[in-house]
Amino acid sequence: MVSVTATPIDVEEIIRTISSPRAGGIDIFIGTVRNHSQGKRVRQLEYSAYVPMAENVMKEIEEEIKAKWIVDAVAIVHRVGVLQVGDVAVVTAVSAPHRKEAFEACRHAIERVKEVVPIWKKEHFEEGLAWVVGQHEVDIKSPEL
Amino acid sequence: MISVNVKFFGPLRDAVKQDELTLDLPDVSTGEEAFGRLVALSPDLKKWRPSVRLAVNLEYVQFSHSLKSGDELSFIPPVSGG
Repeated sequence: MVSVTATPIDVEEIIRTISSPRAGGIDIFIGTVRNHSQGKRVRQLEYSAYVPMAENVMKEIEEEIKAKWIVDAVAIVHRVGVLQVGDVAVVTAVSAPHRKEAFEACRHAIERVKEVVPIWKKEHFEEGLAWVVGQHEVDIKSPEL
Repeated sequence: MISVNVKFFGPLRDAVKQDELTLDLPDVSTGEEAFGRLVALSPDLKKWRPSVRLAVNLEYVQFSHSLKSGDELSFIPPVSGG
């Protein structure tokens, strides 16, 4: 299952969705909003997405995983909108017969989300706003904040 | 002539100050040529060329990709999800 959602991510529901009697385990990565970036205090984050493409690319990541590892099910869910510190921004989860595949495939899922899924993060600092552009930030300080 | 729809997201949306636009291009046009046309309309976009990827109809393609009328294009700035 893959999705981009504007509502809070329900981690328990994701676990239920990918649970399987064939699975020996589920590995899950839960990405949360941290309170600092580049030495500055983050008040909140704003995620936006090219939603239909993001979901297509997430499905491709799911297919990559199923081609490379023996797994039962894959979940990739990303939140959009304004998130507060501590909120869940992204979840990747994999159920598999054995833990080695579950760990490796789940790691692959989150790394690929960060590389290719068309989603962008804007950081809201005390001093203003800044897009996060890949690994780098562009300062676009906003006077209205 | 062909007509394509270009959508903007993330920092590029701020750079062009619009969500989408329609571009009319010669019959045989590539993604590279579409980007060149956008730079003519919005010179701020030029500096983004080395870092953007091209998506046509929701899939990443090369800039040499030939466009068809009705295609949905987006120039994807470096992503920062997760």
